[in-house]
Amino acid sequence: MARKRDPIGKFPVAALLVVVAWAPCLPALAEEMSGKALFLRNCSACHQVDGRGVPDAFPALAGNAFVQSNEAEVASVLLTGRNGMPNFSKRLTDQDLAKIVNYIRNAWGNRGAEIAAERVAALRADLHAEGFDPTEQNIRH
Amino acid sequence: MARLSRREFLYRVAAVGGTGLLLNTLDAWGSGMQSSVNGPPRLTGSGKGRTVIILGAGVAGMSAAYELGQLGYDCRVLEARAFAGGRCQTARRGVTIKEYGGESQTCDFDEGLYINHGPWRIPYNHQSTLHYTRLFQVPLEIMVNDNDTSYVYREGGAGPLSNRRIRQVEIKADMRGHVAELLAKAVKNNQLDQELTPDDKKLLLDYLIHEGHLSRNDLQYRGNEGRGYKVNPGAGLDPGPGVPSDPLGFKDLLASQLGNVYSAVHEFSQQATMFQPIGGMDAIAKAFALRVGKNIRYNTLVRSIRQQENGVTVAYRDGIDGAAGSVSGDFCLCTIPLSVLGGIDTDFSPKFKQAMKSVSYSPAGKIGLQMKRRFWEEDDFIYGGHVHTNFPGIGSISLPSTGWQSQKGVVLGYYNFESEAAEVSALSLKERVEFALAAGQKIFPAYRESFESAFSVAWHRIPYNLGAWADWTQEARKNAYPVLFEGEGKVLLAGEHMSYLPGWQAGAIESAWQQISKIHQRIGV
Repeated sequence: MARKRDPIGKFPVAALLVVVAWAPCLPALAEEMSGKALFLRNCSACHQVDGRGVPDAFPALAGNAFVQSNEAEVASVLLTGRNGMPNFSKRLTDQDLAKIVNYIRNAWGNRGAEIAAERVAALRADLHAEGFDPTEQNIRH
Repeated sequence: MARLSRREFLYRVAAVGGTGLLLNTLDAWGSGMQSSVNGPPRLTGSGKGRTVIILGAGVAGMSAAYELGQLGYDCRVLEARAFAGGRCQTARRGVTIKEYGGESQTCDFDEGLYINHGPWRIPYNHQSTLHYTRLFQVPLEIMVNDNDTSYVYREGGAGPLSNRRIRQVEIKADMRGHVAELLAKAVKNNQLDQELTPDDKKLLLDYLIHEGHLSRNDLQYRGNEGRGYKVNPGAGLDPGPGVPSDPLGFKDLLASQLGNVYSAVHEFSQQATMFQPIGGMDAIAKAFALRVGKNIRYNTLVRSIRQQENGVTVAYRDGIDGAAGSVSGDFCLCTIPLSVLGGIDTDFSPKFKQAMKSVSYSPAGKIGLQMKRRFWEEDDFIYGGHVHTNFPGIGSISLPSTGWQSQKGVVLGYYNFESEAAEVSALSLKERVEFALAAGQKIFPAYRESFESAFSVAWHRIPYNLGAWADWTQEARKNAYPVLFEGEGKVLLAGEHMSYLPGWQAGAIESAWQQISKIHQRIGV
């Protein structure tokens, strides 16, 4: 299987925009790789674009103490899932995961130290989380 | 051809039907069937005068209520929704859903058309689900879960077979034919002599000639009529015998990796015979509700669960008038998904709560697209089955196994999971439709012009579900699952999440069967 997304920088920006104009891809692809774009694409359906979540269902990330505390613990949640939240270990690279963590720790007035992709990689190994593997998923149910 | 080790060779032969392994497997299979759960527990005694509170009127909760009711238990089922079934739902005209953070959506398919946006398949080996469809006489029909005539489409791969639709039958015939030829020639040229006796060699060649449709003379694969014709045979002289088709190139097939679309056998849960209830999966929910509906309190939101020395009290709020109430019982069977239960006030121990927290749930999304013309049948001669794609967020496009040759039909435009489902669910309803149509249009020229209306669901955003099914990590299976399975005090958990059949109704039913046995045993009547 080919990689689903091309690494950034492989195509000139103009070419990428032309592709995005007609391809049935998810809107966030156009600004791929920024922490915000990755958040909008992977997280906003539940935690909402403004990070405020949905009461009784999805915790607000804006103003959330846990989100702003230990960066490794936050990254661990993305790697293994928790409390009903899915894990994103197979679908996102260490770098993308780090970008999301860094975005949510510093958006909407949040403040938190950044995490490096290398640290996420180490956590991935420590937690026995699944490796990055963006090949297509088989229907199972 | 590179030399094969004996072990590799035996493995490959076994994979395509070696006799020694087959016999071994038959033994294992026989005993496996005997130990599987085919019916509800045979419990004796009476539950008269005892009350069991059941949280959730899904398939697990209603299986428990039905079986416990047979024993005389007083079952009080609390259900948050206005209807029974849990995830066992069917979207048809008038059905309304509203996802958290989303728009309200009412299905406006034509009368008689539907999409099973929750469970949609019942494999023959899910005897627990089939126990109830038989007992309740829920009419079933075949769900075409595999269709060689349907297409595969791989985008972005190498070679001339990528970025175009190809029928699965061509890929299967040609990959297997080419591989058989390769192996047959290696056998013929004595390259496997160390591994094979002369008798083995002859038998294996016979098999490979048969398996790959090879020419007996030169062991070449040149295609075969099973892969289809350029012009189909018919009457008279034209088309007469028809025109044979040419096989796809071996190198092109390898480059495209299209061979990965099939394997020796399907996964256990995907094998024929596959069933679906006629008219929609919710026929199962309705059949249960007909029998246990009198025990169900609908529109009832669980607020808290508290245990006393001799029982359990569940406090609730009426979802319509807001009135508070409570119910007490000897035991509680909780079928609420862990993703939702985590947000409910309970007096569970920290250890139990921690175990609950360690389970993640898979997002999943589906979209049903009503098409005004069954172009897949009329133009492409595909009757049911799946179009397999590698489009992110689309996965397979599935064609209906009902209403053959009628005017309209509902196509499953995508079925996505996990983070891909999270991505697609961030789209507006309109954007989801556009996303699905753009993908389908690559396969079927008539896709977009035939589209009439859509109904989409993202289960992780559905109130009272917050996820499609429990997504167990190995770690959570090892540490949390036994804790949760054991339950706490007089509260036991049931549902697909308490099984090794996550996401299947059979998992829900069989876990309910296990837990009611425990309840009955602990109550000791």
